[in-house]
Amino acid sequence: MTQTKCPEEPAGRDRLDAIFNPRSVAVLGVTATPGTVPYDIFYNILASGYRGVLYPVAPGKRSISAVRAYRYVIDVPDEVDLAVIVFPASVVDKALEQCGQKGIKAAIIISAGFREVGAEGAKRERRIREICDHYGIALIGPNCLGVINTDPKTLLNASFARKMPPRGRIAFLSQSGALCTAVLDYARAKSIGFSKFVSFGNKAGVTEIDLLDYLHRDERTDVILLYLEELRDGRALIDAARRVTRGDNPKPILAIKAGRTPQGADAASSHTGSLAAEDAICEAVFREAGIIRVQSIEDLFNSAILLAYQPMPAGNRLAIVTNAGGPGVMATDAAVSAGLEMPPLTRRTTDRLRRALPASANIKNPVDVIGDARADRYVAALEAVLADPNVEQVLVILTPQSMTDIDDIARGIVRVHAGTDKPIACSFMGASDVASGVAILQAAHVPHYAMPEWACQAMADVQRVRRWRQQRPEEVNGDLAVDREAAAAILEALPAGYLREDQALEVLKAYGFPVPEYRLCRSAEEAVAFAEQIGFPVVLRVVSPQIVHKFDVKGVALDLGDAGAVQEAYQGIMDNVARVRPGAEVLGVICRTLIPPGHEVILGAKRDAVFGPTLMFGLGGLFVAVFRDVTFALAPIDTGTAARMVREVKAYSLLEGARGTEPADVREIERCLLRLGRLVADFPRIAELDVNPLIVGPAGKGAQVADVRIRVD
Amino acid sequence: MEKNEIEQRVVKVVCEVLGVTPEMVKPDSNFVFDLGAESTQSVQLVAAFEEEFDIEMDSEEALAVETVGAAVDFIEKYVNKN
Repeated sequence: MTQTKCPEEPAGRDRLDAIFNPRSVAVLGVTATPGTVPYDIFYNILASGYRGVLYPVAPGKRSISAVRAYRYVIDVPDEVDLAVIVFPASVVDKALEQCGQKGIKAAIIISAGFREVGAEGAKRERRIREICDHYGIALIGPNCLGVINTDPKTLLNASFARKMPPRGRIAFLSQSGALCTAVLDYARAKSIGFSKFVSFGNKAGVTEIDLLDYLHRDERTDVILLYLEELRDGRALIDAARRVTRGDNPKPILAIKAGRTPQGADAASSHTGSLAAEDAICEAVFREAGIIRVQSIEDLFNSAILLAYQPMPAGNRLAIVTNAGGPGVMATDAAVSAGLEMPPLTRRTTDRLRRALPASANIKNPVDVIGDARADRYVAALEAVLADPNVEQVLVILTPQSMTDIDDIARGIVRVHAGTDKPIACSFMGASDVASGVAILQAAHVPHYAMPEWACQAMADVQRVRRWRQQRPEEVNGDLAVDREAAAAILEALPAGYLREDQALEVLKAYGFPVPEYRLCRSAEEAVAFAEQIGFPVVLRVVSPQIVHKFDVKGVALDLGDAGAVQEAYQGIMDNVARVRPGAEVLGVICRTLIPPGHEVILGAKRDAVFGPTLMFGLGGLFVAVFRDVTFALAPIDTGTAARMVREVKAYSLLEGARGTEPADVREIERCLLRLGRLVADFPRIAELDVNPLIVGPAGKGAQVADVRIRVD
Repeated sequence: MEKNEIEQRVVKVVCEVLGVTPEMVKPDSNFVFDLGAESTQSVQLVAAFEEEFDIEMDSEEALAVETVGAAVDFIEKYVNKN
């Protein structure tokens, strides 16, 4: 068989281009029964006006919908770019094998019956993955709705979505197939168009990471929407999303993450273990990646239409034009709560408004054009506020009153919208009366929201995108002075389990943590001698490989002011341990100086099955244990993330010096977080690590590690 | 009943139900992949075999049979049991 190269094929054609822009498609397993997935997939490609050549592979059939059918894909006389497989799961491997033999480089497996149905299906999925690897086939699916490309050069609806969506600048990627059809229907009702639409199902081949990179290069996509149920590689998602969301040609990514990650059910024995909730880590991943996380499909599209169809505002300053006072006030509250600013209008603008509006109108922001306003008044007010240098975006609110010429106002807004480089959003409140006006706005891609609060939320999401783009990516701080070899000597030599406190402190010391001077003392005399050397008061803490929770066995003595107290405490600890934990091997005690009081914070790390090493930060005491006031990040971190983590906890104001206390040495906490991130990234053996607490002194005075626990596996 | 006869009658039924020619039907032909059986046709095939051979098969087991050869073996068990 000779394969002719298409003359218009660009050099270095993307491997995913065969999925989105195939020059020929074979549908394998087509049946002759309309209303079944195998038939409808074929018919949808045919009916979408696909620009390439379509081949039905339907054993035993001469033709399907008047198109000549082939028994096997290897019988197709021409080159095939994309195979869409709709055979039942039991024979998909046979079909895929033939695709490989024919040299087809891309496949979409629509069929279900794989990993999602249990062990037998998982085996089938492994088999198809092997075939794809062997032949170098880029695979979408299995268990998916398919792929849609609205590019007029291709026009491909290789899915069982009933209708081709309108063309637009938004790409939608979804792990759920069923959700896709609902989203398409929803979007159609709101005149929202798509560039690409992909349901990637079990993602046995192509993943959301590959798709993000592809859509970043796609000239027809401006905004990417992602629906995920399962995250398999958080680090790769962060790297891919950062490439997409900032740098050259940045495109916003909005995502919904539903369900839980398949995290290993490790028994949680430390604070970090019990608090490292998957969802919180997921939140951190999205934030680190510059992905805007939203909670619902409604939110997803609310923000997407603003990002896709409006210019990026220069800042966060908003003006509101309304014909109703109440909604204007509510919208102002919503805007300010969402972090938008409502600036005063310039004198020039207020003069202009005074001339255009009746005396009873409010010419300050929010501008109230009064209930009887018709289109001319709306247009005049809108043009005036758009011309104001203090205003960077405008929200137009309309309530339908008997004199309101809704359609004319909508047309007026559309006209003004066409002549401005500032974003406009509208909220025509109501449903029935405003419907025709809303349709006019939507047809012209002027974002419309049923409620002004939704518009404000969407505008706030746009601000998140703007701020993210402005934020300079910071390199992981490379100048941390760490002694990797010293830490490795301890961490790599030990069996799985908890490190003794002296070993854990040595590891922290090697990574530059502020560890108070200490010694492992094997007798009361040694403890007294060391205490006299470092100065009183001191602390004694039992050291035993079998004892993790020292307070539980009364193995700690604090604030020992002289030699006699140390002598007595040593003996007391030995007696307590012998009574409570007979049989525990006691090596002695750690003797160290008593750390002066300060802010107690917790720094934790845990290796997550999905995301790798993760960091946690929170304030000690009730804040972590009761309020769960913690924040997460993936390790290693950069200085920006360290600063963000510390400031993100709700109790941060306490560190700033609330209620007359001195501000804490926040910089030292940030440095410790950076060191912790480096440590756990350098040593994958560390399963859990808690510095609890780190006692933080006033600004500039540093901090001290009061306790540490490290578990390796 | 001789296996040869069962084979011939199975091929005849397959051709009638699936609308394929006898040359397409080989012992290793997969009902779905090689002969294009749709799920409703698989049910029809089981019913047609039962009628042809005057037997009653376990339908779940019968529907799990993937190839023509396996169907012959499966039917033979029922035919020669009686």
